[in-house]
Amino acid sequence: MGRKVKPGSIILLVVTILLAFLFIYPVLFALMSAFKSNGDILKSPIAFPTSLYIQNFRDLFAQSDFARAILNSVFLTVVSEILIVCIVPMAAYGIERRKSRTTAFIYIYFLAGMMIPFHLYMFPLFKEMKMLHLFGNMAGPILCYISGSIAFGSLLYCSFLKGVPLEIEEAAMIDGCTPFQTFWKVTFPLLGPCTGSMVILNGLGIWNDYLMPYLVLPSGKAKTITVEIAGFVGQYTARWDIVFAGTVISIVPALIIFCMFQKYFVKGITAGAAKG
Amino acid sequence: MNTTKKKGFDTVAFTFIAPAFIFFTLFIIIPTVSSVYYSFTSWDGVSPVVNFVGAANYKEIFTSTRFSNALRNTVILTFFISIVENAMALGLALIVDNVKWGKNFFRSAFYIPVLISGIVSGFIWKIMYNYNFGIFNAVLENLRLSNLKQDWLGNASLTLLMIGLVLIWKGVGYYMIIYLASLQSVSPDLIEAAQIDGASPVQRFKAITIPLISGAFTINFTLSLINGLKVFDQINVMTDGGPGFTSETLVYLLYKVGFNEGRQGFGTAVGIMLLFIIIILNTVQQKFLKSREVQM
Repeated sequence: MGRKVKPGSIILLVVTILLAFLFIYPVLFALMSAFKSNGDILKSPIAFPTSLYIQNFRDLFAQSDFARAILNSVFLTVVSEILIVCIVPMAAYGIERRKSRTTAFIYIYFLAGMMIPFHLYMFPLFKEMKMLHLFGNMAGPILCYISGSIAFGSLLYCSFLKGVPLEIEEAAMIDGCTPFQTFWKVTFPLLGPCTGSMVILNGLGIWNDYLMPYLVLPSGKAKTITVEIAGFVGQYTARWDIVFAGTVISIVPALIIFCMFQKYFVKGITAGAAKG
Repeated sequence: MNTTKKKGFDTVAFTFIAPAFIFFTLFIIIPTVSSVYYSFTSWDGVSPVVNFVGAANYKEIFTSTRFSNALRNTVILTFFISIVENAMALGLALIVDNVKWGKNFFRSAFYIPVLISGIVSGFIWKIMYNYNFGIFNAVLENLRLSNLKQDWLGNASLTLLMIGLVLIWKGVGYYMIIYLASLQSVSPDLIEAAQIDGASPVQRFKAITIPLISGAFTINFTLSLINGLKVFDQINVMTDGGPGFTSETLVYLLYKVGFNEGRQGFGTAVGIMLLFIIIILNTVQQKFLKSREVQM
């Protein structure tokens, strides 16, 4: 390779910049529109906002229960994640470290869950949730998100656990750790990369989920961000400015977390795909 | 553990697995099995009385035009987005892999749409497609091509294509990452060796890269097909299945008959058909994976 820049790589760069612009454009469009007045959005959709106009955000919080929706989305995502990270790796540990016919069966039983689409079982699920008094209650979706993460999660953790050396665990056991302590104090910290991928993939899925909270949390107070926005689209067709403000609030946290944990996103996707 | 190896299922392992097993059974397996039962009933989703109707729902599935219409829409949409998504994702992966500056920046740019929720992406595009103040028509007008202006989502012959574009935009980044990882695992020595032997870039790509990334092909095609089958949010925000029934897919049909038309028994039967399609796709994928993958 010479130091000289080849014309080919300049052309490639220009093409890539153009493509990247096309991909980011809809996001920029939403960002720009959130800072424009409704009139400006309608009059000149392409133009940049002329000033930092934040009335849309004020209206959004004044005219809807959006603050509540943000709290609800954060609550659902955080609590589900914490429980997922407690329950799923433990199950995988039980399956992977005590090999028997029963654990092998349970593993296959979990994996079968990956093929079942949510839409297939949602009607009976809601009936069941009503029976268990989980309907209209945050616990309902949380339990469903945990259940939904088990199939893929146990696959990921089980294959990762195969590469974790047994010797450390045996040493801990000899030193008097109970299996529970051995897992949480010795093995779990070694599963960090796997946990990172799990948290990222599930977190994004839960934060962005619509159907479950829409159907299970129908009462006004328990709406999530996605449910609020979908509601706006039907309701305030004349106030696009408000809807764009909500849109930006839903996108920005995901963008920030992506920028901070890029490598986990990539790892999560590739780990998932290799086992998929 | 070697020292504690036992034939049976011991209590420690059981307590570790129990919570996951209970939740999984309670919130996935039991409702799935009940779906099979409900698919043979005329359950409306509300009343406590559930009437058994035998195979009537399945008979309706195989005879009604609404189901065949939804199946056709699903197949068209799914295949269209799978093919375009994979072609674009591989192209973008090659570009990002070869571009000299800003690899990380470009990878992120193509990945950002993946981060956005289905509902929000549907909403943003719905406005960009809008006849009066959407970007598409505004651009056409600026290019003095006003006669091409469209009601993009309202035009029955374009609706599926327009929804497909949104899904492709949102999905490509994900598949690109998988291709990129696969491309980066191809050993540069092989490429160099072929280069020394006088193979052209196209020859090298066809003879070395393609076979070595065939695993990524199978994975991405299966994932994109299955994701295509499950599309819901964008259709819900953008077209609600319309105009008419032109964008009603299987999942959307299932949702509409279940929640809007009070026929959850029929809805679950449609769901069972969806499961069959997914099982078939998965089986085919497993076969392909075994036979086509090249190991290094």
